[in-house]
Amino acid sequence: MNDQIVTGSDPGAGADAGGRRIGVYVCQCGGNISDYVSVDDVVAAVKDEPGVVVARTAMFTCSDATQQEIINDIQDQGLDGIVVASCSPKLHTFTFREMSKRAGLNPYEYTQVNIREQCSWTHTDDKAGATGKAARLVRAGIARTSLTEPLEPIVVETVPNVVVIGGGIAGMRAALGLAEIGLAVFLVEKEAELGGWAAGFAEMYPHGRDGRDLVTRLEERIRRHPGITVFTDAEVVGKSGSFGKYEVGIQVGREQAEAPAPKTQPPGTPKPEISRPGMPQLGTPEPGAITVKAGSIVVATGFDSYEPQEGEFGYGLDGVLTLPEFKRLVDSSDGPLAYGGRPVRTIVYIYCVGSRQAEGNEYCSRYCCTAAIHSSLQVATRDAAPVSRYHLYRDIRSYGRYEPLYNESREKGDLYLRFPDEEPPVVAQASSGDGGGATTAKDGDAGHGYRLTVTTRDLLTDGAELLIPADLVVLVTGMVPRENDDLVKVLKLPVGNDGFFNEIHPKLRPVETVVDGVFICGACQGPKNSTEAVASGLAAVTQSASILKRGYAELDPLIAVVDPDTCEWCGLCLEACPYEAPRRVEQDQEAAGGADQEGVDHRGADADHRGADTDHRKMVAVIDRVACKGCGGCVPVCPRNAIDLLGYTDAQMRAMIDGLLQEPTPCRM
Amino acid sequence: MSAGVNGATLVRPALAGRVGALEEFNASACMNCGVCTAVCPMGIEVLPRRLFRYVLLGMEDQVLEQIESIYSCLLCKMCEVNCPAGVHIAENVRSLRHHINRTVFGL
Ligand SMILES: Cc1cc2nc3c(=O)[nH]c(=O)nc-3n(C[C@H](O)[C@H](O)[C@H](O)COP(=O)(O)OP(=O)(O)OC[C@H]3O[C@@H](n4cnc5c(N)ncnc54)[C@H](O)[C@@H]3O)c2cc1C
Ligand code: SF4
Ligand code: SF4
Ligand code: SF4
Ligand code: SF4
Repeated sequence: MNDQIVTGSDPGAGADAGGRRIGVYVCQCGGNISDYVSVDDVVAAVKDEPGVVVARTAMFTCSDATQQEIINDIQDQGLDGIVVASCSPKLHTFTFREMSKRAGLNPYEYTQVNIREQCSWTHTDDKAGATGKAARLVRAGIARTSLTEPLEPIVVETVPNVVVIGGGIAGMRAALGLAEIGLAVFLVEKEAELGGWAAGFAEMYPHGRDGRDLVTRLEERIRRHPGITVFTDAEVVGKSGSFGKYEVGIQVGREQAEAPAPKTQPPGTPKPEISRPGMPQLGTPEPGAITVKAGSIVVATGFDSYEPQEGEFGYGLDGVLTLPEFKRLVDSSDGPLAYGGRPVRTIVYIYCVGSRQAEGNEYCSRYCCTAAIHSSLQVATRDAAPVSRYHLYRDIRSYGRYEPLYNESREKGDLYLRFPDEEPPVVAQASSGDGGGATTAKDGDAGHGYRLTVTTRDLLTDGAELLIPADLVVLVTGMVPRENDDLVKVLKLPVGNDGFFNEIHPKLRPVETVVDGVFICGACQGPKNSTEAVASGLAAVTQSASILKRGYAELDPLIAVVDPDTCEWCGLCLEACPYEAPRRVEQDQEAAGGADQEGVDHRGADADHRGADTDHRKMVAVIDRVACKGCGGCVPVCPRNAIDLLGYTDAQMRAMIDGLLQEPTPCRM
Repeated sequence: MSAGVNGATLVRPALAGRVGALEEFNASACMNCGVCTAVCPMGIEVLPRRLFRYVLLGMEDQVLEQIESIYSCLLCKMCEVNCPAGVHIAENVRSLRHHINRTVFGL
């Protein structure tokens, strides 16, 4: 730690803020901040704020050495509140909360102020302005800290069961992974068979393994595992309870009347012995609705293939196939490729159909370049008679380890033609009358009537306009989200703009959703090939294990609380809450609940079961501590101002605004 | 000869086959990086990226327009040793010359 150190500059100052003793640390971030924010000026501007007893700068506040120095300050100076002005709270909130814990300080007495993303990185053209803004933000952080209270995490018991929804390759692998670490798994598949898309493929990239084999083997292991109960022809139709102990309703046999008996157990495999404590007793599931308890839910409901519009790149014409249709054709025989009873001499592939659209599906579907190249290679390596293969593409994205497939295909004679975005290829039915067109009798093609013609420009050949007679046109169709509105409603799954399910953070929390205990994996969260789908399935296993294997989970206590004396139960908070956290209870019961809130594992629902005398009681709102996410949505709608958000109370917000607006601007301008 | 419909050039896959089998005439492996053009001491601009594509697409007229370039290649293989895609550029030029010798010059 270096530069300016101001310690106990004004021993009397602390008294103004209810005797708080606050330490303020302004980070240079090794120049990231200090190049554009004068950190010394920030320290000078806030060191005399009420309650501040230590104010200093540091080169890297997050470094182990500086953290240790702060811990020493907390212990030596008896600090009871910490402000670190550095980077985004997304990056280091937990770092400094943990540091506080190590120092014996309640972690919720700590405030992170962001002067990097919000000051130095944003105002590179205005050092004085950036410095002034930083000082105001830090002052607001100090104001908040002077009103913090120690809070304890909410501890929730978890049951060691998981419901996996979707039995594609991602869900199957996840189910097995979960069972292998000792969790009980309920695998719920909508269709009659497990396997999803992969179950329909023969050879798959990158290793040429047969998808059907892969699925069969996985299924054998799943069926054999005593910890997994498989429900096919089944859907999740309800979820209640709260995190840690969800009650999940499963409808087995969609059309109850005519549903075939669910094939959860092939003859000869042992029935799952479900005897662990906390696990429901289940035999072979009967058609009908059942309820299971689950500590977490893994959603692996997969994708659909883009369905082109009638006429889009000739879709609807005989010989124009989507990639899945073509894959089926290629997989269906080992011999020379034939279609409609005739040998196939020329295939034209059109890439990015349904993906990378200016309007519509903006994303790249990731799997399709490689899958198309791979299918084309299947054709190239098996046919004795040469099949001409033209790939009309925009960009080839055979990323990472799939590049060798692209190289191999070019070496095997596949020809890649790049068409301009603004002038996509045109597919038409070949007419025998169009002169040199469709039915060319030249070049050894004598008598071979082509069904189709494709007109395209090739940017790699001077932008020449070319006419390709073809037997097959393969539309390299992308992935689209599978229609799953009912499930989205039941689980309150977050859906992104593109229609796929959303994780909390694509890099740092890639399988968690905003709903505690609900994880997503596989292609339901965005285009993935099977390798990637399985990897994310296993990530969901680890995340589930991390909350279920301990038997309990800790939640942030930054939640809404209702003052029962002010509340008159109008229900507006319940309407505003996306998580249905507020409940209507009698005031007395609420008080009991309120007392409970100091303890652990309280759920507002419990209040409903207390059979107290109900006469002459006032009804009030109580907020379920586990269901509440602390979003604050209910706070402003309460007409009686009865709701406060712990950690962001009205008093704290007001103090922060005062801090932000305190004049004069403290820095040289 | 290469006329198609509405001005579009008709693609005829067989030309490449007549110039040479895939093992000899391996132009499709080209990934269009342009290194060959950059290193060619003769500064033959059209060789071999576009020229070979004309062959692959069966654009015979365009090939014949380039006879000058095709015969000014030194076969020095500067391009070939630098080609990241392993295209036998000089060999391909040779195959092409052989084809033209036969079909155009009747040699
Ligand atoms: C033509 C084509 C070729 C491909 N080739 C390859 C390849 O060679 N190599 C490769 O790695 N990848 C390939 N892929 C990609 C691969 O198919 C996917 O990565 C993989 O299938 C994703 O697995 P998943 O389990 O996430 O989804 P899916 O396979 O879609 O499985 C999802 C499962 O969830 C079920 N489900 C959906 N909704 C519900 C619900 N509400 N309740 C219960 N169950 C539900 C579905 O019935 C399905 O069984 C190809 C894809 C296509 C279209
Ligand atoms: S992976 Fe699919 S969407 Fe992406 S560039 Fe290739 S064909 Fe287009
Ligand atoms: S803070 Fe948000 S999640 Fe909590 S009760 Fe209010 S609206 Fe619901
Ligand atoms: S072999 Fe021909 S094309 Fe290649 S660098 Fe030499 S002269 Fe140029
Ligand atoms: S150097 Fe090779 S890959 Fe690059 S453009 Fe020339 S022939 Fe093609």
